[in-house]
Order: sequence, then C-alpha cells, then structure tokens
Amino acid sequence: MDERVEVTLNINGEEYQLEIGKRWTLLYVLRDVLNMTGTKYGCGTGDCGVCKVLIDGEPVNSCTYLATRAQGKEIITIEGLSKDGRLTPVQQAFVETGAIQCGFCTPGMVITTTALLRRNPNPTREEIIAGLDNNLCRCTGYVKIIEAIELAARRMRGEA
Amino acid sequence: MAERQYEELKEFEKQLEARGLKYVGRPRPNREAILKVTGKAVYVDDLRLPNMLHAKLLLSPHAHARIVSIDTSEAEKIRGVRAIVHYFNSPHNVFNSAMRFYGDNSPFDMPETEYIFDEYVRFVGDRVAAVAADDPFIAEEAVKRIKVEYEILPAVFDVDQALAEGAPLANPHGVDGTNICGGWLAYGSHSEEEVLKAIDEADYVFEDTFYLSKVHHGYLEPVCHVAYYSPDGKLTIWTSGQNVFCFRSVIAQALGLPHSKVRVIKMIVGGAFGGKLEVLHEPVVGLLSMRTGRPVKLRLTRKEVFLATRSRHSGKVTVRTGVDKDGRIRGQYIRSLMNTGAYAGSGPNTVGAQSGKTFLLYDAPYMFYRGAAVYTNIPPAGAMRGYGTPQIMLSRETHIDRICRELGFDPVEFRLKNVLQPFQNNCLGQNVHNARIADCIRVGMEAFRWYERRKAAEATHGQRVRRGVGMGLAVHGAGWYPVYQDLTTVTIRLHDDGTAVLLTGTHDLGTGARTVLAQIAAEILTIDPELIEVIEADTDITPLDLGAQASRTTFIGGNATILAARQLREQLLDEASRMLKVSIDQLDLDNGHVVVRNDPTRSVPIADVVASAQRGSTGAPQRELIATATFESRTAIESYAADFCEVEVDTETYQVRVLDFLAVHNSGRVINPLLFEGQVHGGIHIGLGYALSEEMIIDPQTGEVKNPNFKKYRMFKAADMPPSIRVITVEDPEEAGPFGGKSIGECASDGVAGAVVNAVSHALGVELRRVPLTPEYLRSVVEASQRS
Repeated sequence: MDERVEVTLNINGEEYQLEIGKRWTLLYVLRDVLNMTGTKYGCGTGDCGVCKVLIDGEPVNSCTYLATRAQGKEIITIEGLSKDGRLTPVQQAFVETGAIQCGFCTPGMVITTTALLRRNPNPTREEIIAGLDNNLCRCTGYVKIIEAIELAARRMRGEA
Repeated sequence: MAERQYEELKEFEKQLEARGLKYVGRPRPNREAILKVTGKAVYVDDLRLPNMLHAKLLLSPHAHARIVSIDTSEAEKIRGVRAIVHYFNSPHNVFNSAMRFYGDNSPFDMPETEYIFDEYVRFVGDRVAAVAADDPFIAEEAVKRIKVEYEILPAVFDVDQALAEGAPLANPHGVDGTNICGGWLAYGSHSEEEVLKAIDEADYVFEDTFYLSKVHHGYLEPVCHVAYYSPDGKLTIWTSGQNVFCFRSVIAQALGLPHSKVRVIKMIVGGAFGGKLEVLHEPVVGLLSMRTGRPVKLRLTRKEVFLATRSRHSGKVTVRTGVDKDGRIRGQYIRSLMNTGAYAGSGPNTVGAQSGKTFLLYDAPYMFYRGAAVYTNIPPAGAMRGYGTPQIMLSRETHIDRICRELGFDPVEFRLKNVLQPFQNNCLGQNVHNARIADCIRVGMEAFRWYERRKAAEATHGQRVRRGVGMGLAVHGAGWYPVYQDLTTVTIRLHDDGTAVLLTGTHDLGTGARTVLAQIAAEILTIDPELIEVIEADTDITPLDLGAQASRTTFIGGNATILAARQLREQLLDEASRMLKVSIDQLDLDNGHVVVRNDPTRSVPIADVVASAQRGSTGAPQRELIATATFESRTAIESYAADFCEVEVDTETYQVRVLDFLAVHNSGRVINPLLFEGQVHGGIHIGLGYALSEEMIIDPQTGEVKNPNFKKYRMFKAADMPPSIRVITVEDPEEAGPFGGKSIGECASDGVAGAVVNAVSHALGVELRRVPLTPEYLRSVVEASQRS
C-alpha cells in the first residue's frame, strides 16, 4: 500500500540496503525489518524516549523519525554500544547502581546518557536531570538512574 | 501449614541466622540487568514467530451503544487480511477478566460481565472487532473499513450520575436494577448505627469527602500479546502479565477450552503495577490464531493503552470521625464509592481489599466501613499498585490533618496518639503482629526535623512562595490471607555439577523477584545465587502460583523457597552421611559443600553428592535430588510506612514543587536493600504523580479519555522529582516472613499522595478535597477561601 523506496542505512557500523515503505519510521525498520529489537516502542509520539537511537551522535526518538531521513547518517542503537560482550561504563554503572528494574526505558536511557556524557563529561546534577527531559521511567523515580550517570561520568573521567 | 512444620521452619531460619547470613540482606542487582542494559532482553513485542500475523482492534467510538450490524466486506477485500472477529462470529462465553482461580465466580466478589465481543459496547474504547493481517499496516487499514451500525444508548460517567434516581444502567449486571457492582460491603467493630452513634457522642465530629481521580499505571511497555494455536489443538499465549494461572482460567473459559489445552507463558515484563494483572485482550488474540492457524501478535498503541486497558479506581470517599478532647479517635465511619467503569473486573474485590486496610492503622474502638464499586460508561478500572488502599489513605490522612488543624494538634503527635501498637488487637479483634508504625513516625519525625521545618515553613506563609511540610501514613498486607486461599509451590532441582534450577510460578515484573528468590535459595543451599537458574510463570512448566499481586511475592514465594531448599538440604545431608559415614546431625552445608561440623577437613562438594545420588553409589535407590514444597499462608502480615515531605507553592502560578521526601518503612527484614530502595523510589514517583499531575480526563459529554498520550497525561519527569529522596527502614524482623521479611511493593506508594496533599494544605492554609492538585484547582480553592 505504501510506496516503496530503496535506502542504504548505516547502523552500528554496517551498511544495510533495504526496500522500505516511504512513510516507515526508523523504529519500524529497526524492529520489524531488521529485527533489532533492543530499541523499544513506548508511545509513538516522541514523549517517552524508550526508542532513542544515536543519529550522528545525537539522541533521537526513532518512533517519529522517518527511516528515509536517516540515509547517509551514522545510526547507533543499543545493540551497537557494547563491544565484544564488554559493557560500556554507562551500561556497567546502570547495572551496579540498581538503575534497572523492568528495563523497558533502559535502552533509551543508556542512549541518552551516552550522548550526554560525550558532550559533557563532567555534568552537574542539574545538567543530568535536564538531559533526561525526554526520557520517562516508571519504576525507579530516576533516583538510581541519576546515580548511575554520575558514577559513569566519574569513571569515564578516571576518577572512580 | 501445620503448626509443627511452621515451628521447625522458624527454628531452621534461626540456625541459619546464627551462622551468619551471606546472601539474604545484601544488595544485589536485578539478575536480568545485563540483558536489559544491552537491549537483549526479550519482551513480548520482541518475539518473532514464523508466519506471524499482526492484529488490530476496532474500538468503540461510543460510550454506550448496541451493535445493530457489522459489515466487514470492504475490509475483507484487502489483500493480506486473514481473519476478522466480532460479536456476530465469536463464542459468547461470559467471564470476569480478574478471576483469580477456577470457579471463582461469586456474583458478590467476581460478577461475570465480560465477553470476547458483546452485543453492547459500554465505554469509548470497548472492543467491537479485531483483524489479523500480514502486517500491522494492512490490519489498521482493514479496521478502518469495517462498517458498524450502532444504536446509541444513554450513558453515565461518574458515581454520582450512576447512583442518581432513574440513572441509565451502565451495565445490566448491577444489583437490584442499580449501577452497584456486586453489592455493598458493610462491616465494622459494631453495627453501623452503634458506630455512627459513638461518633456523634464524641467531643468533636468531623466529616470530609474526598474526590479521587482516575490514573493510569503508565507502564512503559505497551500491552502486547502473542498467541499460537498449534495443529495439536493447543493454544499458547505469550504475554506481559502478572498472573498466568488466572489468565489460563479466563482464556480457557472465554474460548471454551480445557486448561490442558491452554498454556500461558509470562515474558519479561516492561512494568505492570497492577495494570497487567487482569486478562486484557488475550482471548481475542487466541481466537484470531484459532481462526487462522497462525501465530498472531497484538501490540497496543499508547493511545489504545489509555483507552482499552485498566486504571486505578476513581470515586469518592467520605470519612466521618469522632474525636475526644484528649485527641483520641473514638469512632470512624468510612463510606467509599469506587468507579469501576463498564465491567466488574476486580471492582468489588478492590473494595474488599480497601475495607481491610481501613481497620489496620488507627486504634479506634468504633469503626465501620461501607463501600461499593459502581458501574459507569468509562474504561474499566482495575488493580493498580495499592488496590483501593491509596484512595483510603489519601482521603483519611488529609481528613486527619484537617482534624489536627481545627483542634490544634500537631499531625505527628495526633497520629502517635492514635496508631495501633505492635501485637495489639484492632477493633475487629485482629492481631497486627509486629506493626511498627509508631516507630516509623518517630524515626521519620527525627530524621525529617519535623518541628523545626514545620516552623520554618510557616515563616514563609506571608510570602509569594510558601513552603509546607506534611506527612501521611500507609499500611499494606502481604498476601491474601485470610480472605482467600494463598499458596505457592516451588521446585528446586540440583544438577550434577552442583548448580541448581528453581521453578516458580512467581512473576518478576522488574521488581527483582527472581533475584530475591535466588538469594533465599542460595542462603540455604550455600550455592552462589548466580548458579541458581530461576524459571518463572509458565503454566505448563512451573508449579502453581496466584500471581504478582497483593504484595505477596517475597512473603509467599520466599517462604516456599525456604521450604523447598530445606528439603533439598536434607536430601544432600542424607546422601552425604553415607558417603562420609557420619550421622546426619553432624553435617552441615557450607560454601557448596557438605561438611562435617566439627571437622571441617572432611567435606564433599554438592556436585559429588548429587552425582552419588544419581548413581545410587551409597546403596540408596538411584534418584534425582529434587524438592517440591507448597507454602500455605496462615497469617495476615502488614507492612507500614510513614511518608514525610516538604513542598513549595508559588501563589501566583500555583505550581507545586516537592523539595524533599522521606519514606520510613517497616517491612520486616529487607532481603535485598538495593531492590527494596528501588521499589520505594518507584512508589514515590507514582504517588507524586497521583497527588500533583496525573489524571485521565473524561469528557463529560462523550465519556472519552481526552488525554490518551504522554504529552497530556503527565507523569513526573526527572526534573519534577524532589531533589532529595531518602528511604529509612525500621527493620525489626517479622516472624512469619521469610528470614523476617514482609512486603514493600504497594506500601511504597500507598501513603505518598496523602503526605503531599497535607504539605500543600499546610503551605496554603486551605482544605484540599481532590487530586491532582492542578494549579487551576489550587487557585480556585484559595480564591474561594479568600472570599469567605
């Protein structure tokens, strides 16, 4: 029903040549074409952040982002963060601090945090909170998520 | 469970404690954390089955209507549409989606009012039809092309409308031709008249009515089900649910299948909070798979989640209290009307649970509860973290503060004077066991610097930005006893490399239940918890459980785990005694070995003992070391909380900011402090939203949910949370609990909103009678108070 187009997407360092619907979101392509299910659907309106991916290093809600727009850009999903089974410092800190309960917001939180700490390796608590403006969590009250981000930042600066 | 067995169990726990606990009481991350943080955890929506179809629901645009006809011919013409089901082509077996066990269909508790598809629709969002198609886009297009002719019927949306003289019936199953669902629940320490008389004879009488809003669980994982009806006639459902055995009963009843032909498997759950306790659209997906012979998935959009799932009960609660000059409560009468929406579901049961909590906090000689669930034409309410309790706590705690204001009592002192004491009998003659609510209040008062901060806040009351300090109490149980049966079974099997697998019907909702049960088993078997696999909630594989509800998981599941692990320990010692030629009473488990207690040089690894048993090496029959134990709860155990908070209110914008929150909990021994704190933090989040920002707004003309998205249904973001949140425990073990543990899941949230509303009342000096405390509402109350 939907007009098909050919696209080439660069996801986690690999090129994918795909024929997709013109109006398909990046989230749909990731989950339902490529079966990369680490990125979640939560609201479809860009309000909860569980579908965040990095596009050229910036966290973006893939549920409202057309896949065709992502051509020529570098897409990193939650699956693309840890290398050789080793957790990134952000992932490690989320695990240790108890920042993970149901885990459904976690991929989006980790993506957002990864971008935040690249941009600002030494964020204040206020800056961390501002950075989470587009990520909802229903389990943790954000308390341990903020602790995790602070711990990850300290470790990435070599302070802990 | 037999008295002697119970005493032996407690004696055994004491021996382990004397040895020193290694895993219980220690922080340990959720065992699924690494899977989740790498995006590899598989939720229902992540399942990919061969030839899977995608389903879409057609939801009612009307609050109340009869379906005259359904024309699917245009929809069927679309390529890729594989099945369409609706009232005229589906089985008509009545059920209650909240049924707890087979045959649980009392018209008082669990009225059966639901069908897969009914001739009538009773709320905007009710199911009309469903399509299964090759992809979700085709399914969506087909749903749009289904033509339905409706006969529109009158509707009611709130409890006052529903109970008005001559009101239209929102649902035909109401009692005596009214919209009362199930019937009135009314009981107390004395007769209703005697309690009302005692209240009126007190020195002072107060009465307040509080209006409760309809809030949603807001779990981030939308509701999702997958079904596959295989050629052998077996229906398998994968779901994000809280109660697989109950689901099996309901699905089997709805589709007319025997239990042996229905298998329900719980997947990793992306948040539930009660919202996935009741069967939602599983029977529809099952029916579509039966029609097509192919796997079918239904994943709701967020809008559909708001329209077509469950929510907390809105309604109104009136509290009437008689207080004597000395500040003692002489009597209290509570009248509660809970808006259960279009179908019964757990409405009457929520009222029942709510009534129980009424009697477990304050020590008044005369108390009475009268309550009912009420049918209306809005989306059905159901279980939500607290199950009727937050409504009672919020209504009563704000009422108590009003009494304090009028009589000049300090809220802390008044509560200390009136709460139940440990091991006291309440006015119904129920023993409250180790109820340490008074200690929670005292500890919290000190830690929060209550008097100092109340005073400092009052010094701001002439200013534009005013501060307020408030508190609220809560109580919650741990399981169903004594209302219904409450049991769970755990099986543990030892492998011949010394590792183990624990099979349990317990549901981990992200709460860490699997982690906690592994810790408890590890403590007894002295095996590292990471080497104990925990398989949960699959009706064909795991033993029976009654679901993640009633804050029962740690208490009931933990006790069953202790029983099973202890049996396994005895089997190990028995085999090892023959291997080591030492009597059993000389043996102990330590660090994965059976050791001779007085001669640590003599020991044998658990792996060798298991292998020896399997080979029959010591002359005993060849056997697997496996233990199965059922725990039957025979005690009603309550957890308690005192919540304290400070807020700031801008009297120009009427924005409220919560500055500081302290939760003091009496939950017995905490099995895993890291997960425990996480539960409390999440409970505070839900409670703050309840108090200040969340509400499913029902259009008064159409009955439609006007804000079915996260832009307009406002859950707290990180920036909205208090900058300071503290959790303190009053951690005296409760004998009946596993290693002294009680519950936390619901108690974490029950008292939060009351504390917040009381703090805002303190800041503004006005009585507040509803939630959420929107700026518009606060402004109207303040302006009205200035006029009078």
